[in-house]
Amino acid sequence: MTTLTRQDLNFGQVVADILCEFLEVAIHLILYVREVYPSGIFQKRKKYNVPVQMSCHPELNQYIQDTLHCVKPLIEKNDAEKVVVVIMDKEHHPVERFVFEISQPPLLSISSDTLLSHVEQLLRAFILKISVCDAVLNNNPPGCSFTVLVHTRDAATRNMEKVQVIKDFPWIVADEQEVHMKEPRLIPLKSMTSDIVKMQLYVEERAQKT
Amino acid sequence: MDELYLDNIDEYVNDHNKIVTYKWLSLTLGVHVNTAKQMLYHYLEHKRKESSPQLHATYLVSGKLEDKGQMCHKVSVVREDQLEDFKSKMSLIVSVHVYSVQKALLKDSGPLYSVDYDAIKDNLKNCSRYSAIRCAGAVPMSAAELQQVQEIQRAPPSAPENKKSAMNGDANIASKPSSKPQKGIMGMFANKSAPKNQDNSKEVKPEPKEKSPVPEAPKTKPAAKSSPMANFFGTQTKKPEKPVEKQQEAQLAIASEQQHQRTTAEEPAAVQLHKETKADSRSKSKRMEESDSEEEKMEKKKRRRIKKPQPDSSDEDVIPDSPPQMKTSEPSPKKEPETVQHSHTSSGTKIRRRRKVLKSRTFKDEEGCIVTEKDYVSESYSETEDDFQSTKQAPRNNNKAKPTSSSKDDDKKTQKKSSASSNKGSKQASIMGFFQKK
Repeated sequence: MTTLTRQDLNFGQVVADILCEFLEVAIHLILYVREVYPSGIFQKRKKYNVPVQMSCHPELNQYIQDTLHCVKPLIEKNDAEKVVVVIMDKEHHPVERFVFEISQPPLLSISSDTLLSHVEQLLRAFILKISVCDAVLNNNPPGCSFTVLVHTRDAATRNMEKVQVIKDFPWIVADEQEVHMKEPRLIPLKSMTSDIVKMQLYVEERAQKT
Repeated sequence: MDELYLDNIDEYVNDHNKIVTYKWLSLTLGVHVNTAKQMLYHYLEHKRKESSPQLHATYLVSGKLEDKGQMCHKVSVVREDQLEDFKSKMSLIVSVHVYSVQKALLKDSGPLYSVDYDAIKDNLKNCSRYSAIRCAGAVPMSAAELQQVQEIQRAPPSAPENKKSAMNGDANIASKPSSKPQKGIMGMFANKSAPKNQDNSKEVKPEPKEKSPVPEAPKTKPAAKSSPMANFFGTQTKKPEKPVEKQQEAQLAIASEQQHQRTTAEEPAAVQLHKETKADSRSKSKRMEESDSEEEKMEKKKRRRIKKPQPDSSDEDVIPDSPPQMKTSEPSPKKEPETVQHSHTSSGTKIRRRRKVLKSRTFKDEEGCIVTEKDYVSESYSETEDDFQSTKQAPRNNNKAKPTSSSKDDDKKTQKKSSASSNKGSKQASIMGFFQKK
């Protein structure tokens, strides 16, 4: 049973890897389910032993990968509080927000064999919940786009602005218009606590979408 | 007592927003599947009468269908809105029942699989406890038998296709009534999808192909047919089968010119047969086929990282330069201008390898004539997405330095070569490969 103190860095990397993989799949799935892009660009692939929809468009994939590549160091150091996938309408006002709240669990440990399959099971449940979320959400207006916001703890963003993790892929402080949503309704989707991460997913949607 | 189940289902569907399949319900409530199906049906009727929030349902329809002159048995999961349409197409309907009830309108069938996954995994040994399908002869194989069978599977990868298709015919008929509790989800899937595969592979065959030799037809079948075979031999054999499939595919692609048709035909069959399609292996086979067509002169190999240098008689005059790591192209100021192509940027974090690549050089010889020579030059390249940029740059550099029109063909050939060879590094099949090859 390995304890946290001795292998801090590896542990952070492991958690960040798992989470970023999951976030990539989740973002693709959100784009599919909420019809942000036409379903023709999506293709069935396998993750966590279940079928998921991933996009085939190279630029979209590259964008999502670059985004998560930059988020990864924040998760490693436990600086990222929330990763938010915002869906915006034509005027760039947020219509829906999928919020992934990430935190460290009270009892942090890597123990053994069953850990990863347990985590896999929990992540599968998240994927399933995203697939059926349109039962509880209203339809989005046409012509939506999306963006990813990260809420960090303390002053981690200052570091991000100084050091460009990926060339020509700058992160900037989000402006008020993109962050503020009028009359949001909160719909919880799923939460999980495991040995390595605690995550909650909920959706905030605007009361009047069109 | 009898009405309790209605409340249970109501709770699952409305409060938890779950997808309730009959399989999941039977495992959760501990009832026979037929009872579960009836429960779902009654629940649906009940709710529809009460006009409560909208519910969606999917149905499992199984029956006989006339498809291009052949009778086949088809089992499908259809959405409610497509149900009547589907039923009207069938000549004989064997069974129709509710497959699942949920609040959301499902856009694709992926979640239906996920729902049952965990429930069945927990009950792997006895997941057919409540099942209606029985076969006395269906007993899980012992470990020794399983190993034996796996070895037999691996040893002759290109076992005669005729035999395979014959076996598959029998396997299909046998797999329907039998249930393999050990295989769990795969087993469940085989029973449903095996007859579907037969339909799909039959649809693949009669697709119009310009030169479609007869052996091709049974060869496409084993690719699609590996599913019932795999289900007998467990999930472990799926992996050795996949590279075998791809190898066969690649070889056939060279033989016939139907690469593009083939990949699109294979895809629907492959997607149908198993809910797990690895896109990586698929795009790899596409990439292989593209580069195969481009490199017709070269020896056909699966891995092309290291090329064997072919002897070139006119080598003595010209000393090949081993190119520097930076991306430069310098027309030499000497009397014999040489153009050297360099294809890749160096970047510290990526892997570098050396390989020999066919390059052509144009230079002025003693008489003042411009001579073009093709030669193998070892160059280093790295496996990166930079391959894209570098292929664009290499042809540009070439155009700058080459003065004559006679060497334009060679120019394009080298472009083709460097673009083809650098494409191997990129992870996605590149569209540029189409545009650059001539």
